[in-house]
Amino acid sequence: MPNSFLVVDDSKLVHRMYRLIFSRGNLAGSTVYHANDGREGYSMLAAHPELSLVLLDLNMPQINGLELLIRRQAERLHLHVPIVLVTTETTAGDELRGRAAGAWDYLRKPFQPSDVESLVARVLAASPAASA
Amino acid sequence: MRRDDGVFRELIDDYLVECLPLAERVADGFVELERRRREGASEDGLLASLQGMLHTVKGNSAMMGLAPAQELAHALEDLSALLGRDGAPESEGGGAALLVAGGGLLVEQVRAAAEGGDPGRTAEFVAQVHAFAARTSEPTVPLGRRGGERRSAPETRPEGAANVVRVDFRRLDAMLEVLGEGLIEHSAVVEAFRRVARRGGAGEEIGDLDRAIVAMEKTMKRLEAVVMETRLLPISTVFGRFPRQLRDIAHSQRKRVRLVVSGGETSLDKAVLDRLGEPLLHLLNNAVVHGIEDPDERLRAGKPEEGTLELSAASQSGRVIIHLTDDGRGLDETKILAEAESLGLDVRSADPARIRALIFLPGFSTAAQVSQLAGRGVGLDVVAGSIRGLGGTIEVESRPGRGVTFVLDLPLTLAVVRSLIVEVDRERYAVPISQVAETVRTEPEAMRQINGRGVTLWRGDLIPVSDGGALLGTGGRPAAPRRFFVVISSGGRRRGVLVDRLMGHQDVVVKGLDRTLGRPEMVSGTTILGDGRVACILDAARILEREVPA
Repeated sequence: MPNSFLVVDDSKLVHRMYRLIFSRGNLAGSTVYHANDGREGYSMLAAHPELSLVLLDLNMPQINGLELLIRRQAERLHLHVPIVLVTTETTAGDELRGRAAGAWDYLRKPFQPSDVESLVARVLAASPAASA
Repeated sequence: MRRDDGVFRELIDDYLVECLPLAERVADGFVELERRRREGASEDGLLASLQGMLHTVKGNSAMMGLAPAQELAHALEDLSALLGRDGAPESEGGGAALLVAGGGLLVEQVRAAAEGGDPGRTAEFVAQVHAFAARTSEPTVPLGRRGGERRSAPETRPEGAANVVRVDFRRLDAMLEVLGEGLIEHSAVVEAFRRVARRGGAGEEIGDLDRAIVAMEKTMKRLEAVVMETRLLPISTVFGRFPRQLRDIAHSQRKRVRLVVSGGETSLDKAVLDRLGEPLLHLLNNAVVHGIEDPDERLRAGKPEEGTLELSAASQSGRVIIHLTDDGRGLDETKILAEAESLGLDVRSADPARIRALIFLPGFSTAAQVSQLAGRGVGLDVVAGSIRGLGGTIEVESRPGRGVTFVLDLPLTLAVVRSLIVEVDRERYAVPISQVAETVRTEPEAMRQINGRGVTLWRGDLIPVSDGGALLGTGGRPAAPRRFFVVISSGGRRRGVLVDRLMGHQDVVVKGLDRTLGRPEMVSGTTILGDGRVACILDAARILEREVPA
C-alpha cells in the first residue's frame, strides 16, 4: 500500500509545491490529501487514520497549526499519526510548546524536495510497520 | 548548490497570482493604517491582518528562492511589530510612512520576481528599518527573530468565501459568446413565427406556438441576466488602487489632496472594468495636477488647504454613472475659447456644453494641460476615446474658481447594447440608444439649407442634418423623401440623420469586426438581427467628428 500524506496550508502556491514534491523521486506514487485551513485539516485527519505523516503549517488564520495540535491532543484523535509543524522560524520556546502539544518534529520553510524526502524517510523508519 | 535548486521555478505564475494581490493589499493596508493613525481612528485589527499577509508573502518568496521579496517582507513584519506594540512610537517618528514606502516596494519586488527582483533596494529599505528602530530605541526587540505563531486576528474574510470558485475569465467570455448565438437564433425563431402567423390559416396550434415563444423569450432574458451577472465585479476593484496612487501624485506635486470614494459596490462587467482603470487614473492625475491649487493659493481663495476629490459610482437604468468632482480652480472658459480660435475652430454659435467639450479634442491644450505627469502624450482626448470605445460618454461641468466635475456614463457590459434599429436604403443599422437624443418625423418644410449644408430646428437649436444614405454610403438622393430623422449626440455635438424607417429598440449582441477590414470610419461593431441579416452598429462619436455634406 502506498504511503498517504496530509498537507495543511492556507497558501495555494505551497500546495502546488507539495504536489510537485510528492510526484518525484521515491515519493512518487504517494497519496496526498490537501487541506486549506485548520478546520479542513482536522476533518481530514479524522477521516484518515492510515496517514503516514501530516505536514501542518503553523501560520494559518483562524485556526493555526498549534491550536490544531492542541485540539487533537485534547480529543486524543489518531495520536499514532506523526504531525510535523511547518514554519518559517521558531524560537526555542515555540519549539518546546509545539512538541509539548504533540508535534513530532519541525520542518523549516523554505524547504526543498530533498528535505521532505529525508523527513519522510525518518518518519517511516521510526514508526512501527503499519498494518493495512 | 543543492541538487534540487530551482525545482519550483516553473511555479512562478502561481507565485505571482497568489502573492501580487497579497502584496497590493498590504500596501493599500499600510496607506489606510497611516490615515487612521493620523486621524486617530480605530484600527480594528488591521495591522494584525496585514502581518498575516506579510508572513505568507515572506514564506512563499522564501520557498521560491526570491530573497529580495523575502527579506523585504521580513523587514516589514519586524517594523509592523515595532509599531504594533502598546505605546508604540507613532507616526511622528515616520514609522507609518516607512511602512507605506515598504509596501509599495514590496509590490514592485513581487512583480519583478520573474526577473529576480532588486536586492539593492531591499537592502536599502532594511537599513532604513534598522535606523528607525535604533532611533526609537526599542532594545527589547531583537530584529530578525519573530515568534512563529500568528495570533488569530479577526481577519476580514469576505462572507461566504467558501462558496466562491475561481474561473478563468475566458470561460465566461465563451459562455457569453454562446449565449449571444442563442439570442440571435431566438430572434430568428421569433421572426419566422411572425411570418407564419401573418400568413394566417395555421389553426389553433398557432396559439400554443405563440405562448411557447413568449415563454422562451422570458427564459432567454433570464439566462442573459444570469450570464451577465457572472461577469460583474464591484467597481471598488478599480477604485481601490486610487488612494495609494493619489497619495504619490499629490506628494510629488507638493499638494494636499484627499480622495472620498462612494458607491464602490456598484457592479460592472469585468471587460469594461479592465479598461476603465486607466482613463479614471488619468482624470485623477489631471485633477491633482491642473485642478487642485497648491496650498497657499487655496488658502488665499478661502478654501481649506487640503483639496478634495470625490469619486462616486451609481447604477441607473442599465448604465453606470461615475462622477469625479474636484474643488479646484474650475475650467477657464476664456482660455478655452481663445485656444479654440487659435486652432481655427468656429465656436461663435456654440453653447456652453459644446465649449467645455472642446477640452476633449486631440491636440487641445491650454497652457495648463501639458504636464509631464498627465503627459507622455496622454491627454483628455485619449481619455475620452477610451470611454467612448467602451460605449460610454464623458461630459464635464465646471464652476469657475470652485471646481470641475467629470460625468462618465458607461454601459454595464460591452457584449450587448440596447439599440435603435433603423433602415436606410434597405440596409439596417443599430444605433446604441445612449447615442440617440430623439427620433423625429421629418417635415420637409422644417429642413433648410445653409451654405449648402442641411440644417433643421430641433428643440430650439439649429442642428446639422445629413442624409443617411449619403452618410453611410448607400446612395445620394433617395427616391422618396426620408420619413424620419434620428438625432444622434455625443460629446456635446448633435446631428440629425435622415432615415427611411424606424424599427424599434432591441438588445443587440455585439460582434466585433474582423481586423482584416481595417477600422471602418463610422462603425463600432456588427450584429445579426432576427431575420439573419447583418447590421452595422454605428459609432455616433466618429460620425459627429466628420463634417459631411448633406
